[in-house]
Amino acid sequence: MTINDLNTILPLVVLAGWSVVVLLADLWIPKDRKGWTAALSAVGLVVVLGLTLARGGTVQKAFFGTVLVDGFALYLDIIFLVGGLAGIALAYDYLKRMELERGEYYPLLLIAISGMMLMTYANDLIIVFLALELLSLPLYIMAGFARFNLQSEEAALKYFLLGSFASGLVLYGVALLFGASGHTDLPGLVNTMRAGTGNQALFLFGAALLLVGFSFKTGIVPFHMWMPDVYQGAPSPATAFMSVGAKAAGFAALMRVFVTVFPSLSDDLTPILWALAAITMVVGNVLAISQKNIKRLLAYSSIAQSGYLLMAFVPYANAEVSSDSIAAMLFYLLAYTLTTFGAWAVIIQMEQQERRGLEVADYAGLGKRHPWLGLAMTIFMLSFTGVPLTLGFWGKFYLFSTAVEGGFVGLALIGLLTSVVSAFYYLRVVVVMYMQPGDPPVKQNRWVNLTALLAAAVVVGLAFIPGSVLDLALQAVLQLQ
Amino acid sequence: MSGMQIVFLVAAAITLVSAVLVVTLRRTMSSALLLVLTLLGVSVLFVLLQAQFFAVVQVLIYIGAVATLILFVVMLTRSVMDTSEPQVHKNWWLAALVSLVVFVALVVTLSSWQAFPQVQRAIPADSGENLAALGKALVDPNGFALPFEVASILLVATMIGAVYIASERKGEE
Amino acid sequence: MPLAYYIGLSAVMFILGIMGVLLRRNALVVFMSLELIFNSANLLFITFASYYQLLAGQIMVFFVMTVAAAEVAVGLALMVEIFRTKNTINIDQMSQMKG
Repeated sequence: MTINDLNTILPLVVLAGWSVVVLLADLWIPKDRKGWTAALSAVGLVVVLGLTLARGGTVQKAFFGTVLVDGFALYLDIIFLVGGLAGIALAYDYLKRMELERGEYYPLLLIAISGMMLMTYANDLIIVFLALELLSLPLYIMAGFARFNLQSEEAALKYFLLGSFASGLVLYGVALLFGASGHTDLPGLVNTMRAGTGNQALFLFGAALLLVGFSFKTGIVPFHMWMPDVYQGAPSPATAFMSVGAKAAGFAALMRVFVTVFPSLSDDLTPILWALAAITMVVGNVLAISQKNIKRLLAYSSIAQSGYLLMAFVPYANAEVSSDSIAAMLFYLLAYTLTTFGAWAVIIQMEQQERRGLEVADYAGLGKRHPWLGLAMTIFMLSFTGVPLTLGFWGKFYLFSTAVEGGFVGLALIGLLTSVVSAFYYLRVVVVMYMQPGDPPVKQNRWVNLTALLAAAVVVGLAFIPGSVLDLALQAVLQLQ
Repeated sequence: MSGMQIVFLVAAAITLVSAVLVVTLRRTMSSALLLVLTLLGVSVLFVLLQAQFFAVVQVLIYIGAVATLILFVVMLTRSVMDTSEPQVHKNWWLAALVSLVVFVALVVTLSSWQAFPQVQRAIPADSGENLAALGKALVDPNGFALPFEVASILLVATMIGAVYIASERKGEE
Repeated sequence: MPLAYYIGLSAVMFILGIMGVLLRRNALVVFMSLELIFNSANLLFITFASYYQLLAGQIMVFFVMTVAAAEVAVGLALMVEIFRTKNTINIDQMSQMKG
């Protein structure tokens, strides 16, 4: 029994075990050779990625049904693992350059990824809560990894206090759901909801608390106020990793819990989700316009992206549309991941000691002096905006069309209009890069370069075969229920 | 009024009053000490709910570890904290409004529970926890072995992180 | 005692915790308020566990306490570290990142 259980979650077990191995191995790795720790962690991630891909799309339950491995989980796991590899590639040179080179960064990163993977498997609210903590605590520390830098420490403390607050709200929500039904496992909750024996009001309040808690994590307005400060203060590789990982994991939990358990609450929840999505898109994009610091700009951009992602979530109870819209969300998540890591790779190349080189104005001349980096950054900005020939375009296209399909034409219209607004600040970066004279100092590192160029190539390349990517996402969703 | 009821009322009153004081008092030190009292009150409530084991764990972990650590940090940081400064945010009214709305919503939700009359029955005397069953459940793969292991990884991560953050700063000052 | 009293008490503690987090400037007091929230959830779990006569509710408390212990280590380490450099832990005096 136990062997089967462990076999089902083998990638997670290997990853968690590997993080401890890396931690121990790091003790014997000399101070000036921390690249070995990074390499060791990357090897572990590649192995886990292989294990994940090898298992295929069979749906398996383990540990008495508390975890559930299905196509949905596998799809997201691949995003997290590839994100982890990119996170290591971005961090290695940066940490050395900023004199932060400590081996602890990599085991923490691996543990955070374990938490994210566990979140995708979670079929029980106890697991959801623990996975949330398992992915958050390492992220708090990674945000404060630049110990000598007050900004980084303050970012970590803010992230910690608001993150714990979010966890507390989620926990109280779980307690209310447990009180309403006597269950913490999702199938048990589903059955109680179907049978109507649970208490509807408690269900609703518990669901609302879960929604608020995860909104904090994913940066949905009005629970977004921590994001710009934290994104700006944290070391750039940590920001890049958390902006993808924490967000994707938060949405994974929301999708899993809400789509399986709460379809019957949709009368109450759909208008709330509608309003949250609309206000997030508007506020994120409008506030981004006035930002001069590139890290803050991407923070507000990331808030806006949460709004788009949430948009796919609005028709979650409509069985005909929901699988399409969730597939669109998974597709968009992939585009967001690639584009985000690419953009942060360019930012990390540009960042100098003591946080110089982070203003948009510093990018003047990048396009002429370093044509490849400039081209990559242009592609990422276009993809964020949703211009055709990039993956971001198809992401938004599928999102908006499923919103229309679900009968939310107004929401799709708001999405379209805010995308036009967003072109204003994304393209400003491109204009500064190409139209203004300057000679920005760029720290070339092959791993960061590789990340940027690879991400750019994939963002453009996949845009020619969006159908097959969407098919993958659709298959992932079909196994969700 | 039975003895149990008196104990409940006293414990609940202590918990509530000290919880109010924790969030309202100016001095951090007083807040921290009253937090200990709140935690103690909650552990008494756990005993009344026949969760004696968790009452003990509450005292050991929350008071023994969490509150003690908080007290240490208060003492480490208090000398410079100026208590004459305003202690609340400028937009406190917004926060108060949000809390009020949540409170009203919660009260309405809880009081709408049809099962409430049932709930008001006393707890059956045999509902006390079974310590052996609890221990077995924690290591049973069909019980809570997985969360248990996850919690252990969580503690490892925390340990690394806390040691890293608080470790000595080399080459400074 | 009627279980409803315990539930009500937990709800009031929860709200007090929220108020503390939203209102207070001192990071330590905010942290203590977070502990109030976690404790109110624990009380709710134990109450419902005894209502449903289920072990699961009590076990959850076990994990919440583990998590609380983990959080206190990270959070307080951060606060001490910031205090060492800055001599304050008021959240809104973390001024460098406004705007």
